[in-house]
Amino acid sequence: MRRLRALEPLAWVGPAVVLIALVVLWPVIEMIRSSFLKISRFGIVQGANGTANYEKLFGEKDFADIMVRSVIWVVAVVVLTVLISLALAQLFNQRFPLRKVARWALIAPWAASVLMTAIIFKWMLDPEVGVINQIRVKLGLIDAMGGAAADQLGDAGSAMPWLVFVAIFVSVPFTTYALLAGLATIPGDVYEAAKMDGAGRLRTYWSITLPLLRPALTVAALINIMNVFNNFPIIWAMTHGQPGYSTATSTIFMFILKGSDIGESAAMSVVNFAMVIVLTLIFLRVSRWNKEVA
Amino acid sequence: MNMKLAGGAALGLATLLVLAGCGSGGSGGGGNDQASGGGQVTLKMVAADYGDGPGKPNSGETFWKGVVDEFQAANPNIKVDVTVINWNDIDKQVATMVQNGQVPDILQTGDYSGFVGDGLLYKVDEVLSPNVSGDMLQKFAEFGKVDGTAYGIPFVSSARALFYNKDLFSKAGIAEPPKTWDELKAAAEKLKAAGVTQPFGLPLGQEEAQAESFLWMLGNGGAYKDASGKWAINSPQNVETFTYLKGLVDAGLTTPNPGTKDRKTVWEDFGAGKVGMVNGGPMSIPIFDAAGMKNYGIVPIPGKSGPLDTTLGVMDWIMAFNKNGHAAEIKKFFDFFYTGSAAQKISDLYKLLPVTNGGLQKLAGDEKLKPFLDALPNASFYPFQDHQWPAVSAAIKQTIGGAVADDPAKVLGDLQKTAEAAG
Repeated sequence: MRRLRALEPLAWVGPAVVLIALVVLWPVIEMIRSSFLKISRFGIVQGANGTANYEKLFGEKDFADIMVRSVIWVVAVVVLTVLISLALAQLFNQRFPLRKVARWALIAPWAASVLMTAIIFKWMLDPEVGVINQIRVKLGLIDAMGGAAADQLGDAGSAMPWLVFVAIFVSVPFTTYALLAGLATIPGDVYEAAKMDGAGRLRTYWSITLPLLRPALTVAALINIMNVFNNFPIIWAMTHGQPGYSTATSTIFMFILKGSDIGESAAMSVVNFAMVIVLTLIFLRVSRWNKEVA
Repeated sequence: MNMKLAGGAALGLATLLVLAGCGSGGSGGGGNDQASGGGQVTLKMVAADYGDGPGKPNSGETFWKGVVDEFQAANPNIKVDVTVINWNDIDKQVATMVQNGQVPDILQTGDYSGFVGDGLLYKVDEVLSPNVSGDMLQKFAEFGKVDGTAYGIPFVSSARALFYNKDLFSKAGIAEPPKTWDELKAAAEKLKAAGVTQPFGLPLGQEEAQAESFLWMLGNGGAYKDASGKWAINSPQNVETFTYLKGLVDAGLTTPNPGTKDRKTVWEDFGAGKVGMVNGGPMSIPIFDAAGMKNYGIVPIPGKSGPLDTTLGVMDWIMAFNKNGHAAEIKKFFDFFYTGSAAQKISDLYKLLPVTNGGLQKLAGDEKLKPFLDALPNASFYPFQDHQWPAVSAAIKQTIGGAVADDPAKVLGDLQKTAEAAG
C-alpha cells in the first residue's frame, strides 16, 4: 500500500514524461543517429558512415561563412527586436486614445503567416514592379526600375538588411506582448516609492522597470533566439540563400543539403542543435551575471 | 489586459491551425487496400500535376480521371487509384512513401534513376509491350537505361528555343533575331539603348539554373560531361561561355543579378514586355498568353558561331515499382496509355511534346511548336543517368550564378570539384 502511494506521482507526471520522450527526445536521438549513417537520396539507409558526414560538412567551403552569418543573423535580429519591443511595450503601456486599436494592429504581422509576409516583401522589392522600388524611383533615390540598383534582394550586401528587417517585423509583436505582460506585473507602489525618493524618469526605468522586467525579458529573448536561429521561411522565400550561399544561414544550408545528401544534412542539424544550446547557455549565463549586479 | 492577450493568442492560434490545415492538404493518398476480392487489383499511381492545380479545368486530377475511366471501362478487373501531387512536393512525398514502405505501383515524375540503385523498379520490358517501346524516340529511350538496362519510360518531353519580343525588336530597329553570340550582344545593346530594362532574360537562380546554363554551354560545344563521360563543368569551352555571359551581365544587358532570379519571374517579365529575349519552351507559351504577350517570335537558340542544331531536351518519366508485384496489370495500363488517345491528349492540354515517333507525326501541323519539334530528335540531355546528377544539379542551382558575377573559372572549378567528389 505504501509502495503504491510512492508511485502515485508517477501517474500524474508519467504521461508528460512519455510525451516529452516521444516528441522531443526520440527525434533528437534519431537525428544524431542519422548523422552517422549513409542514406540514399530517397531516405534508404545504406549502412554506417562513421564520421564521414561530419568531415564532408566541415569540409564544405561555405560552411564557416554560413555559421558566422547565422550567429550575426541571430544577434542582430534578437537585439534589435528586443530594443524596439522595449520601446513599443512602454508606449503601449501608456493610456492614449485608440490604444486598443493600436494594440490589435500590432498583432497583424504576428497573425499573418511568416511565409506570406516574406513573399509580400519579396514582391514589394521586385526590381521591375515592386512598390518599394517605385517609391525609390519617385524619390529620386534610383534612376529607373529594372536595373541592378533596383534589385536589392539580388545582392547579399543589400539583401541581408532586408532579411533582418522582415525577421524583426515578424518578431516584434510577440516580443512586445511578452514585455507588455511583464510591465503589467510591476506593482504601482514601487514606482510611487521611487517617485518619493526623487528618482528621475531614466533612473526609474533603469533601476526599477528593467530589473523587474527581467523574467519577461529573459523569456522573450530566449524564445526569439531559438525562433530566429531556426527561422527558415523568410530567407527561403526571399532569396533561397542566394546569390550562392551568401545569404544562407545554417537552417537554409541544412535544407539545401537535404536535396543531395541526407546524412550530411543530419550532421548539419546536429551542429545546428548544438549551436542553439550553446547560444542559449551563453545567454542564460549573461543574464544571470546581470542578476548579481542588480 | 489579460483578456486582450488571450484574444491575441486565440487569433494567433487560429491562424496557425488554418495554416496547418493548408499544409497537410496534399499528403493523403497512402491507403493500404490491395485487391478487394474477386481477382480485382488496385494499382496505386502517383503522378505530377502539369496543370494549374486542384480545381482548375486543366488539373492533373481531371486529366487522369478521364484516362482512368476509359481504362477501367475496358479492364473491369483493374482499378487505378491516382494521387496527383504538385511538382514542388512530389519528390519529398514520394521519398516519404518509399521510406514508410507505402510504395506506389506506378510513379510519373521528373526522375527515375534514384530508385534504380535501391532496386525498387521493374525493368521496362517487364511492363511495356515491344511495339510500344519500339515506337519511342530512340535518343530518349536510351536515357531510361542504367548500366544497359532500361528502367525509366519516357513520358512527355520538352525542348527549348529563343523567344523574342517583336515589338521591342522593331522599336530598337533590329531586323532579324540573332543567330550568333555577337549578333545577340549587338541586339541586346540596341534594346538597351531603346530603354529595355532586361534586353536578355537570364535566370540563373535556384529554380532552373542548370537548364539555362546548359543551353549556353551547348552554344560553345560544351556540356556538363565530356564525350568520355567524365565531368567537364570547368572545361575551357564552358569557362569561355560564362566569360561571355559575364560580359553581358557587366554591361547591364541581362536580368540584374542573374544568380538570384528564377525562370518563372523572368518569363513573367517577358510576358509583361520588360524582356527583349529569353530562352523558353512550349511550357512558357501559356505563361506569355496569360500575361497578354502575343507578338513574339520563336527561333533556334544562338550559339557562338551559329544557331544550335540541338537543344536541351527535358523529359519526364513514368516507372513501375516492383514491391506489390502487379507487373501484368501495369503493362496493360502502360500499353493503353501509349497506344490510345491519352498521350496525345496530354500534349494538347499542357503543350508538352510527345516521346514517340507516332506522337511527333500527329503534332507536325502545329506552327508554334515547330521549332521545338524540329530540334527534339537531336536533343541533348542532362547527365541524369549518373546517380550523382541530382546532388550535382542541386549545387549548380545554388552557385552557378556566381560564374557571371565573380570569376567564371573559379566558380565552375568549384562545381567541378563538387561533382568529382560526389563520384
